[in-house]
Amino acid sequence: MKKNRNITFLRIFVFASFLLLWQVAADKQWIDSFYFSSPLLLYQQFIHDMTDMSLFRHCFFTLSEFFISFILIIGGSIFLAALFWFFQTLGKVMEPFLIILNSLPKSALAPLIIVWLGTGIKPIILCGISVGIFGSVLHFYQSFCNTDPERIKLIRTLGGNKVHIFTKVVFPGNIPLILSMSKVNIGLALVGVIIGEFLAGRQGIGYLIIYSSQTFKMTIMIMSICILCLLSALLYLVVNQVERFILNKKY
Amino acid sequence: MVTFEHVSFSYNEEGKEAQIIDDLNFRIKKGSFTALIGPSGCGKSTILSLICGFYKPKKGSIFLDSDLQGTGKIGYMLQNDHLLEWRTIFKNILLGLEIQKKKTKETLQYAHSLLSKYGLREYENAKPSALSGGMRQRAALIRTLVLQPSLLLLDEPFSALDYQTRLHVSSDIYHIIKEEEKTAILVTHDIAEAVALADTIIVLTKSPCTVKEIIPIKFEQNGITREAVRSTPLFQYYFDLVWEALQNEKE
Ligand SMILES: Nc1ncnc2c1ncn2[C@@H]1O[C@H](COP(=O)(O)OP(=O)(O)OP(=O)(O)O)[C@@H](O)[C@H]1O
Ligand SMILES: [Mg+2]
Repeated sequence: MKKNRNITFLRIFVFASFLLLWQVAADKQWIDSFYFSSPLLLYQQFIHDMTDMSLFRHCFFTLSEFFISFILIIGGSIFLAALFWFFQTLGKVMEPFLIILNSLPKSALAPLIIVWLGTGIKPIILCGISVGIFGSVLHFYQSFCNTDPERIKLIRTLGGNKVHIFTKVVFPGNIPLILSMSKVNIGLALVGVIIGEFLAGRQGIGYLIIYSSQTFKMTIMIMSICILCLLSALLYLVVNQVERFILNKKY
Repeated sequence: MVTFEHVSFSYNEEGKEAQIIDDLNFRIKKGSFTALIGPSGCGKSTILSLICGFYKPKKGSIFLDSDLQGTGKIGYMLQNDHLLEWRTIFKNILLGLEIQKKKTKETLQYAHSLLSKYGLREYENAKPSALSGGMRQRAALIRTLVLQPSLLLLDEPFSALDYQTRLHVSSDIYHIIKEEEKTAILVTHDIAEAVALADTIIVLTKSPCTVKEIIPIKFEQNGITREAVRSTPLFQYYFDLVWEALQNEKE
């Protein structure tokens, strides 16, 4: 218990000294705050953008694009994996394609999507999906196929058909995997959405980062990155809580 | 109740087609307790799958009494209990009823009565991991019994238990089966278990599997109760008989 407290204290200490050092370095002009900004500048920028609501708007856009992509990744990949599991031949045919698409660098498809779909929210969501979906489908499909054959036999001995096998053992047996894949996909969907905004956004945190880099507004850029950090940490916590809730409950 | 006439069977594996069962003949009477004993890998589980109708014989025929036609009439208990860890004991027991859409007030009541009768009432809301090996096995049996099958197939249901638990659970399950007046076919490796429980032992040859010998076990006719059999000379006599028959069948 005591050790934990010390660790927490040390963490805060490290973070605070980092901020302090940064501020002092900027004040004493050891670093150029035009490029490296400073905690104080960040704070002022943050307050300014909060009061004119623009920050909320950007966050809202990024978050809603993220949520749509995230839901579609999880829902879509479960649906596709189930489809491949039900139709084994289809699954076997598609598996190598999925493996190749999954081993592609995750952002390689984004420019293509932007060229095809232009600007707006649709290509950004598609970018978000493209980063996570192949890996998820593959994971789910392989895990569905690895269901203990004895459990499948159990359902058959109780008079069940393939639909029962899926709803009674395959799907519930994979809920822990679905939850852990959800955690992974928070990161991936966010990456996809930010890349999409880099390329095609008119709003959102990704747009803010690109816009500020082009206009050398480094304070805005660093602030956006910090906000992104906070958002992803927050989302991770939310999913963690949901996971705990579901696993504790008898599903 | 079940009759095998000249049954032959082989799995259709890619390329090779190995004969598993060759010209198998036997008859199982209503209310009897039959043990199938034979070298490992000889095809005992396959015989049970054939009775269940998971596979069709390549040659010969299997005749089932009319009260075994239709789903749920044959209960099949697998080697492991396969209780699903995300369901409570009660929900596990209802699995077959859910699948066969037989969850009515009467069947739920019956499930409860079986749980109380066999000492699991207080565990009905527990997760399977909270139960001992013997209790889990009893729960698995109740899951099968609740469907009110006329015939019970037991595929080495005790092999996952340690020796002492096994003695207890096997006599428990023997009494449950007799009390519910079921016909039972037990697959086992354990000669003593077969002699102690069955009234007929069918000794099988190694693959391809046929009937080597059918040994009727007569304790009750000699005035010996099932609880006391293990310490009688007659038990040793039957044991040696089965042992003899199995001798030539070892790999
Ligand atoms: N689904 C299957 N497809 C192909 N071959 C199978 C299948 N199931 C079993 N076999 C083969 O059939 C033979 C008999 O298997 P089975 O499981 O019926 O034997 P068993 O007597 O129950 O063995 P054990 O004592 O190990 O439980 C084995 O050689 C096994 O490899
Ligand atoms: Mg077997």
